[in-house]
Amino acid sequence: MKVVLQDLVKKFPASDSIAVNHIHLTIEDGELAVFLGPSGCGKTTTMRMIAGLETPDSGQIFIGDRDVTYIAPKDRRVAMVFQNFSMYPSMTVYENIAFPLQVLKLSREEIDQQVKEAAGLVGIGHLLQRSSRQVSGGEAQRVALARAMVRRPEVFLMDEPLSSLDAKLRIQLRTEIKRLHRDTGTTIIFVTHDQEEAMSLGDKIVVMDHGNVQQVGTPQEVFFKPRNLFVANFVGTPSMNLFDGTIQQNGSGLCVDLAGLAQPLPERFQAAKAGKEVKWGIRHEAVKILDDNEPGDVSGEIELIEALGSRQQVFVRAADKLFSVMIDALYPARVGDTLHLRFDASSVHLFDAQTGLSLAEAG
Amino acid sequence: MTAPTEVQQASIQTAAFRRWLYRVSQKYVHWFFIAPALLAILAVAIYPIVYSTGLSFFRVSFDSRERPFVLLENFIWILNDSDYRIVLGNTLLYVLVTVSGAFFLGFGMALLLRRITVGRNWLRLILILPLTIAPIVVGLTWNWMLDPLFGLINWILPGLGLPPQTWLASTSTARIVVMLVDIWQWYPLVFLIMDAGLSGLPRPPYESARLEGASNWTIFRRITLPMLRPVILVVLLLRTVDAFRTFDLVRVMTDGGPAYTTEMLSMYLYRTAFNFNKLSRAGAGATIMLIVIGIVSALMFRFLYREVERR
Amino acid sequence: MQYSWGQRVVAYLVFMVMAILVVIPLMAGLLTAFKPQIIWVSSPPIWIFTPTLENFEFVFVQRQNLLHLRNSLIIATGSVTIALILGVPAAYALARFRFRGSKGLLQWLISLRMIPPIVVVLPFYVLFQTFDLRNTHIGMILAYLTFLIPLVIWMMRGYFVEIPSAMEECAMVEGYSRLQALRKVVLPVVTPGIIATALLNFIFAWNEYFLALILGGRNTSTLPVATATYVGRARVEWGNLFAINLIIMVPVIILTIILRRQLVKGLSLGLVD
Repeated sequence: MKVVLQDLVKKFPASDSIAVNHIHLTIEDGELAVFLGPSGCGKTTTMRMIAGLETPDSGQIFIGDRDVTYIAPKDRRVAMVFQNFSMYPSMTVYENIAFPLQVLKLSREEIDQQVKEAAGLVGIGHLLQRSSRQVSGGEAQRVALARAMVRRPEVFLMDEPLSSLDAKLRIQLRTEIKRLHRDTGTTIIFVTHDQEEAMSLGDKIVVMDHGNVQQVGTPQEVFFKPRNLFVANFVGTPSMNLFDGTIQQNGSGLCVDLAGLAQPLPERFQAAKAGKEVKWGIRHEAVKILDDNEPGDVSGEIELIEALGSRQQVFVRAADKLFSVMIDALYPARVGDTLHLRFDASSVHLFDAQTGLSLAEAG
Repeated sequence: MTAPTEVQQASIQTAAFRRWLYRVSQKYVHWFFIAPALLAILAVAIYPIVYSTGLSFFRVSFDSRERPFVLLENFIWILNDSDYRIVLGNTLLYVLVTVSGAFFLGFGMALLLRRITVGRNWLRLILILPLTIAPIVVGLTWNWMLDPLFGLINWILPGLGLPPQTWLASTSTARIVVMLVDIWQWYPLVFLIMDAGLSGLPRPPYESARLEGASNWTIFRRITLPMLRPVILVVLLLRTVDAFRTFDLVRVMTDGGPAYTTEMLSMYLYRTAFNFNKLSRAGAGATIMLIVIGIVSALMFRFLYREVERR
Repeated sequence: MQYSWGQRVVAYLVFMVMAILVVIPLMAGLLTAFKPQIIWVSSPPIWIFTPTLENFEFVFVQRQNLLHLRNSLIIATGSVTIALILGVPAAYALARFRFRGSKGLLQWLISLRMIPPIVVVLPFYVLFQTFDLRNTHIGMILAYLTFLIPLVIWMMRGYFVEIPSAMEECAMVEGYSRLQALRKVVLPVVTPGIIATALLNFIFAWNEYFLALILGGRNTSTLPVATATYVGRARVEWGNLFAINLIIMVPVIILTIILRRQLVKGLSLGLVD
């Protein structure tokens, strides 16, 4: 079911500071949308408002074409999976999954059938008689998933459900959630602060900070075309290389002066004016290593190398700046070697130093 | 879209009303839960307290119907009463001795319990029994134990070579004995709370201290005590406030005697109100007591929450 | 921490001594309840005797202390029940909802526990006369509520805070109203807490002497107050007295033994972080 948020506002009850600041958002039917952002950015509050656990101070929420803004959570036909809670401790796995169905006044056999079906879908059919103490963390979250599914909701809401699991389990369940999405086709809204998780799961990423939506887009859009500094910094580990610079006149055209290092101004920023203070950025995967020095390239000495399995992160000092470059582990790099770096114009990002907005946007 | 019919319009309006109702009720949902208790408290606790405080400004007694307004006369009278001063002194001494006695004994026992591995639960159970016994029963039981003629204490003492005493009738011993009985009853509370506090302490600081070769005493002083500070404060203030209010125990053991040496504040006010028929003067005394305890507990909250927030 | 063998022995010895100090006075006193009148007071004390129930018979049949027992039961269970009914929802609200003034309200409510009974008793005495509550069970129950409700709120809040709010929120999303969610999902989890709270409150009300003495009437005296009838100016009827003491002590001790784990946890809750 399609979810629309219109001008949603929520203040913190105790201090009157803004938790969610006039958010407009549309999530299409069947999408897996990820709310991504650091702690306290408002993503969980927004989700809780969609669930009905919090009431917005102003604005509206639509699920499908129903205005659910002031409807109790139980009538919204959503299901939610929580971060720090998975199973009702006083019930067995079976009773947990059957719990949502008991309001619906179904027959014993119907409930039984649906419980077994849901349990089978997440692979816990053999655990049905276990109590909450006899179940591991990962299994408990599967119970929560089964319980969410059994109601056949219009929207799935998941609030950092994998954060308390260990790395391997997290990736495993992540794949299962993706499969679930593909099989049921139900809209899923997923909240996380882990940008790797977001990128692997989402059809659409909503990056949030301080109650505002910073950018909405596909994982590729958010990664390759960040709208502002925050998104550029937040998405991608390790963070993007960022340096201060000024746009200068250089002969016939404009260039970017990075405190001693001049870089050409990429085509798409030609509208920029000279004298503008900017932040210049490039992702470390986008930096090319060359064997020979060609005009326009930057040379520098390797200061530090971090081995990262199949890749290595190399820190190169060039023109008094430290560039982080990600290259293949097999490349014979050693501290003290000289490397020649080329910055591909299409991978260069420029942001207004004051507003943080990408110059491609601001124009 | 055609104009809505009357029925449709009515149902739109009720739907809108219901939405408004939901919105408002969600905003104030907490009051629905609190209101019953709050109303009960206001009626049952606050109204009497306000009444009692108001009482202190009039002259009220059981035999006369008149209630003239006398402002601070009651307060002045009571503060000038030499008996009151004695009683206040008694009470302060009592509080000081019993609270520190119960504290050190209880804390000590809690620390000792760490050294015991088997039978912890049973020991805890036996030790908390005094807490569950009515103070008045405690007093009566010890009256029996301390009786000069047939009490167990006086029966054992000659065996140890000490002379028997008239414990509760002698001015030199009555106070001490009553305080000891109070400690006997209440140190288990300190014991339980400190035990819970000690159990809740994290392990890592201890492990790293051990690695660095710190002695038991240093560990206790530098690690255990600071971490237990909030618990200690709470337990001290709790016992202090309770000790201030002592009535049952002392009343049944010595009833203030001999010669006023064990007269406590609550007993004195009780007598003033009911035996001496000076209801409003007792009210003034009670108001003073309330103010003092209010200050003490406010201090406790200030300390306690500052500690918690700092974490 | 590692402790030397010597330290352990010392600890055990100290605990043995303290345990004896607890048990001996209580046992000795209670034994007297079963002694025939002739040996109520004897020096040296007599330990071996044929136990008799004549004290109990005297106390309950002849002196009609059964009435006092009944009053104690009614007042204690009544006040605890009402305190729970009023206090548990309030504790829940104070644990869950963060609204303006919630911290202040909580502190204020909890500090009410500290009120000296004398402060409450004087106005209650006057009010009882005005509203003619002097000889009623309701009157006593109301008086006890002053202390029980804050205690219930203090303890139950501690228990509620330990339960993640996601528990009832999950049930609310899954088709239940908040009240239903609380009943079906939270209540089973918080029941040990309610038991501990009920026990602690019961102990207070059952053992209470001061308020019962002043505010109780001829028909509503409780057991603790009844003990006074056996303490005379010249002599004390020890056997009868300890018969009553036994009745006062034993139910509470039995409950404590059965519910000891909950009680120990409850006493330290809210005080230890």
